[in-house]
Amino acid sequence: MHKKPTRKKAIELVAVIDIGSSAIRMVVAEMHGPGSWKVIDGADQPVGLGRDVFLSGTITRASATQTLQILQAFLEQIAGWQIKPENITAIGTSALREAQNRDMFVDKIALRTGLEISIIEGVEANRLTYIAVRNALRMVRPGFSRANSVIIEVGGGSTEVMLLHAGRMVAAHTLNTGTVRLETEIKTVTGFGGYLERFLREHVRSTLETLDTEFKLKRVKTFVAVGGDARLAAHEVGREIADAYHVVDKAAFEKFLRRLQSMSTDECVQRLHISYADAEALVPGLLIYLNFMDDTSATEMIVPTVSIRDGVLLGLSQGTDEFKEEFNSQIIASAISLGNKYGFDEAHGRQTAKLALQIFDHLQSEHGLDAHRRLLLEVAALVHDIGRFVNARDHHRHSEYVVANSEIFGLHENELNVVSNVVRFHRSSPPNKSHICFMGLSTEDRIVVTKLAAILRIADALDRGHQSRIRKIELESFGDELSIRCHPHGDLAGERMALVTCSQMFEDLFGMKIVPE
Amino acid sequence: MNAKRKTTKQRHQPAQFLDRELSWLEFNARVLGEALQPELPPLERLKFLSIVSSNLDEFFMVRVAAVRSRPETATSLAGMMPAETLQAISERVRDTIAQQYKCLLEDLLPAISTRVKFSRPAEHNATQRQFVHDLFRNEIFPTLTPLKIGANAKLTFGRNLILHILFELTPAGRPDEQAQMAVVPVPGSLDRFCNLPVDDKSYCCTLIEDIIIDNAAALFPGYEITDHLVWRVTRDADPGVDEERDEDFVAAMAEMLVRRQHGGPVRLETDTGSGPLLQKLQAMTNLRPRDTYLIPGPIDLKPFVKLAFLPGLDSLRQKPWQPQQPRDIPKNTDIFELLQDRDALIHLPYESFDPIIQLLSQAAADEHVLAIKITLYRTSGDSPIIDALACAAVNGKQVTAVVELKARFDEEQNIGWVDKLQRVGVIVIYGIAELKIHSKACMIVRRERSGIQRYVHLGTGNYNDRTARLYSDLGLLTTNEQITYETALFFNSITGYSSVPGLRHLAMAPVALKSKVISLIRRESERTNHHDPGSIMAKLNSLADPDVIEVLYEASQAGVRIQLNIRGVCQLVPGVKGLSDNIRVVSIVDGFLEHSRILCVRNGGAEELYLSSADWMPRNLEHRVELMFPVEQDNLKRRLVDLLELYFSDNTNSHELQSDGTWIRQSPKRGRQVRAQERLCQSALQHTESLKTSSHKKFTVRRGPPS
Repeated sequence: MHKKPTRKKAIELVAVIDIGSSAIRMVVAEMHGPGSWKVIDGADQPVGLGRDVFLSGTITRASATQTLQILQAFLEQIAGWQIKPENITAIGTSALREAQNRDMFVDKIALRTGLEISIIEGVEANRLTYIAVRNALRMVRPGFSRANSVIIEVGGGSTEVMLLHAGRMVAAHTLNTGTVRLETEIKTVTGFGGYLERFLREHVRSTLETLDTEFKLKRVKTFVAVGGDARLAAHEVGREIADAYHVVDKAAFEKFLRRLQSMSTDECVQRLHISYADAEALVPGLLIYLNFMDDTSATEMIVPTVSIRDGVLLGLSQGTDEFKEEFNSQIIASAISLGNKYGFDEAHGRQTAKLALQIFDHLQSEHGLDAHRRLLLEVAALVHDIGRFVNARDHHRHSEYVVANSEIFGLHENELNVVSNVVRFHRSSPPNKSHICFMGLSTEDRIVVTKLAAILRIADALDRGHQSRIRKIELESFGDELSIRCHPHGDLAGERMALVTCSQMFEDLFGMKIVPE
Repeated sequence: MNAKRKTTKQRHQPAQFLDRELSWLEFNARVLGEALQPELPPLERLKFLSIVSSNLDEFFMVRVAAVRSRPETATSLAGMMPAETLQAISERVRDTIAQQYKCLLEDLLPAISTRVKFSRPAEHNATQRQFVHDLFRNEIFPTLTPLKIGANAKLTFGRNLILHILFELTPAGRPDEQAQMAVVPVPGSLDRFCNLPVDDKSYCCTLIEDIIIDNAAALFPGYEITDHLVWRVTRDADPGVDEERDEDFVAAMAEMLVRRQHGGPVRLETDTGSGPLLQKLQAMTNLRPRDTYLIPGPIDLKPFVKLAFLPGLDSLRQKPWQPQQPRDIPKNTDIFELLQDRDALIHLPYESFDPIIQLLSQAAADEHVLAIKITLYRTSGDSPIIDALACAAVNGKQVTAVVELKARFDEEQNIGWVDKLQRVGVIVIYGIAELKIHSKACMIVRRERSGIQRYVHLGTGNYNDRTARLYSDLGLLTTNEQITYETALFFNSITGYSSVPGLRHLAMAPVALKSKVISLIRRESERTNHHDPGSIMAKLNSLADPDVIEVLYEASQAGVRIQLNIRGVCQLVPGVKGLSDNIRVVSIVDGFLEHSRILCVRNGGAEELYLSSADWMPRNLEHRVELMFPVEQDNLKRRLVDLLELYFSDNTNSHELQSDGTWIRQSPKRGRQVRAQERLCQSALQHTESLKTSSHKKFTVRRGPPS
């Protein structure tokens, strides 16, 4: 009980504030090193941001004032810890993300409190949840990294769903369904209670169907639930394992849910010692979990003691470095899963990606792009032909919109835009001012897209036959010439032809002539 | 909530509960019982007599007023109508008063008369007469405000608890004319006793009302005083008083300070001087004979407590107790250091409160301390605690004080020190709307090399260095991570930073404390069996929550052995066949006020010990912010169990509750006398002694030639 870590270095304190749709929460943590910290203080206050935004689209003045007061109180509390301003992180999730007046709201908070709120996108929320869960289960449930699993986090305004096949991310979605949103929607439609279940079923069915095409949900045995409602259920009817997570039997979970359904909100508040806001959200929240769980083969629910704030803390502790590689491989897995959904030629995708990365690495000093851009190239190379599912003619255009309108785990909206543009320009005319999607990018991204597309064209040409005839290439630069020596399995006539037609953009951009050997 | 309470009440069987007011009166009778103990020094007995009076004042102001305001047909939990209750109260109080004055007049005043003499004006010698005359003219007369009253006046003029003298006046020389009446309030600013000059070192006292009566002619020139009566009225302290309020009158009263002057009269006390005047007074009050008490001596014995502290009377009183160094905290240790790997318990007043003050002062000056949070409920302005907090704030620590202003005793003084704290930058939180913060917690946050460390003190009594010498309270000092973390969450919620947290180790009222208590008792019922019977030991000030009482009955019938040590009100009926066979209730009344709340459940051998600021009454469990916390360190658990057992073996100052609601004083049978408070004093002293001798036993062994 009186364990004391012995460390010499002064320990840093950080604070994370999370502005959600039904509450604002705060944690103070003591950072012990990569991936290791201890939460030493916490607070939460209910707030009706979700109710405002999901009903009217904007944050009302009353809620804005309330939020401001809560944040000021939190900052006073944080001041007691003598935490430096740069060690305070504030994030806003779905309610804030969707509020029409969010920019003014964020600005007002910044002016009044000095707090810079970063709005977390769905994909970022997914990422934070994933790394938090992964970190929490790493030691205590090693099997998790190889399991077929669903991770689901039900929030006030959105639900994050991740599907993993043998530990590989095959799908990640952010659904517009959350406890506060549901409750608000239901209230506007009808006051009839039993309606909720039917409404919800309809609501999540299409998502479930989509998920099912990505990976048969019946093959999922590990069901991981994240979120306050799941934690509450776990605390009531689950068993705690190693201080890190609870396990709840499905039958017990259902029984608990049915019992709650027969209780009034008042009773929930009394019996479970929770706030009215939490009590109102509880049944919708648990129903969402159950709906998803029903379609899997899971017989128990794993509820890790984590939240999105742990994901932020993990990032702050530099603990994500350890996960970086794994995380990247999850992005790739998610891209391949997307390709599979559209019946892509996986071998060609992988071959193109392999070659493209080799060229990228060789030209490091020429393009000056970082590892993250390399990852985007890899993703683009994998899925560049995905539009053939629609039609082979103009398939680069189809690829573009399919990618732009899909979710790839771990990629932000603007990153996905870069990928879709690279895909768009993997053939046909190079980008110019008439390409609206391209022009919509920032100047920096336009340069990135152009460089990556040029490289992708060469790599694609080198597997024109879709036969993976090239085992290996060797690259050498001689002044303004780039020599590519191929080690083929067979005849490379097609590839050589393709290089001639596809290298124009590359040569113009890098000022290097491609010399195949 | 209210609707729910009503149904709860209907559910309970009246026969299974003792009446709360009568149970309280029994407690006061036990206090009186101490005053009647011949072996106690007379001034100690006088203190108890005076406490009986002040208790009764508060009882009438709050409880009797509440009963009177109940609808006529509303039965209490014990099934009594208000009229029945009031009648029973009246009878019991008369009995108490008779014993009280018999003791005062026949025992105590004669016993101290060699050193303190009471003399009536007629007994004064010439010097004394002159002294009194001068005193009256120079100091008393200017403060008096006589008021003439008509024959049909209503008693709106009598101020709550203030002595008044009613005079009947006849115009001088015209005895046939209609007599008039005038009333003189005895100013509260005057001392009740006047010390008369005497030749030796003894004291000679005269009561102020006697002086006024003796010199009253000066007040009414042209009139002759034909009759007089000393009286005082007690008023409803709060016309809208809460039904759930209990005997903790001091707190209740403080809340009502402002409003109480306007409440209706509930009690009239008069001396035995004049029958006709008494009748007139009664007519003015609308009070029944039931509510009128003829006092066979000086009205209001509260001021008599002052006699007990007069200098030079040491032979008539006990030597005041000197709190000892707590056994868990050796003298001159760094408490921060000490608490690194163990918890410490402080048992007031046997052990000294000083370590807490020391801890706070040390924290105030410690550069590594980031923040201090504390709940302050009735703290005096010149308290060293306040000084330490102010000092900490000046030194740049974040200091948060949760101040319960509803507990104000002396409003002005209170605001004074709150101002002082705020001026130096202390964050002052004025409690929570509608909930009184009664829990006692203090937390010091310190940044150490190994990380953030929190030092927490949780107690059963207030942070008040004065009551720390008079009340028996327990406090736990700990750095246990789970407890300190939850204490932090507790503070976050009462300071408004956070909504009410779900706690696992601490239990907080009004949210979860009651259900925790109930579930602990239920668990005992479930685990008990013939081979391994369950056991519950609890020490409380009051037990009046019907739901808790019911589960105790269930536990009793399941075979759990239940021992309760309840100082004051107990509505549980013990020893009833088929209901409470296994429940024993005792009460300890002795020199220190029993104030700690302890709960011990056997839990199949894995004993659990809890301390709490809360009594088991609806008011504490449902309408206040309270804490119950576990004591987990083995030696401290042992100590608490020993303590509980010691109380149950007390056979000198212990009373046992009978199933008819009466209490029987225990007496030593064959074996030795066991007086718990005395044993605890001895053991604290022994510990101090053992330290003195053990320091000589330490050898300094030389392993080289002395240089």
